Amino acid sequence: MSDFDALLKRSFAEAHEPEDDGFVVNVAHKVARSEKALQIRNAFQTGSVVIGSAAAAYGVYAFLGAFGQDFLAAAGLEIARIHGSLSAAPVGDVAGGAAGEAQTLMTTMGAGLTQVLLLAGILAGGAVALRATQQD
Amino acid sequence: MAARGFSNLAQATEAALIIAAQARDQAAFGELVKRRQGWARGLLRRMCRSHAEADDLAQEAFIKAWERLKDLETPAAFPGWFRRIAVTTFLMAKRRQKAVFEEIDEAANPIASEDSTPENQAGAKIDLEKALARLSDAERLCVTLNHGEGLSHSEIVEITGLPLGTVKSHVLRGTEKLRRMLEPQSE
Repeated sequence: MSDFDALLKRSFAEAHEPEDDGFVVNVAHKVARSEKALQIRNAFQTGSVVIGSAAAAYGVYAFLGAFGQDFLAAAGLEIARIHGSLSAAPVGDVAGGAAGEAQTLMTTMGAGLTQVLLLAGILAGGAVALRATQQD
Repeated sequence: MAARGFSNLAQATEAALIIAAQARDQAAFGELVKRRQGWARGLLRRMCRSHAEADDLAQEAFIKAWERLKDLETPAAFPGWFRRIAVTTFLMAKRRQKAVFEEIDEAANPIASEDSTPENQAGAKIDLEKALARLSDAERLCVTLNHGEGLSHSEIVEITGLPLGTVKSHVLRGTEKLRRMLEPQSE
């Protein structure tokens, strides 16, 4: 290390450090303000989640009230048909039997697909709404 | 701003203050700012040309530190962790100003300083801030981190994101410019 490098390091080490001329108070005020803003934001987020959850619960309740019985009946019927088609498949030509089974299965699954997609859409929408409320 | 768990903040260790501040104790953080403001503002004043800008950036850095304190793993790491925040804040401000790392026209800024007399050098007192102000932003940043904060070239690379060759070049050129400014009679 040259003499100049040593002088430079010493000068950095001995450099004047500014006195507190109100800097600490300014930072403290800004920190207090930022904490208050954070608390308000958290309260707003919690409120949003509560309102969103209540709305979703009410929606599910209304949906079940309107379509619940029909949905359960249709689902039960589909399950019974699937079970029946699988257990009472014709014995004989193996290839033809397998194709018939698959065709029946596809038909019966297709009947319940609308309800399944509807339910999946509700769940996905709810998840997106929840995620949106939790983002900063 | 109640000082939870402290009978006297001024006597608390820095580690205790940091732990309390991590638990969102604003008074403990205030005491931490009080103890570190000189170092932080001094560091940023050597990086910036204007004291007002440096103080604004120091304030911004402390606010960021408060918001990110939970990310600090150990209190002992606070100086390095805060230095990184300060440097990042400085670099972001320079990017916002679109004035990053401009070169200083040496011809327009005479190298010799009226303060760089042999007497001053003998007394190890040079007007560092005045000399640093004549370097480019990048040279000032790299020289300050290298000579002032004692960081190695690779540590400066890590903290600034600049390529190693660039950092070495800035440190070398910045130091050489300072030498020419402060030792005019040696040439």
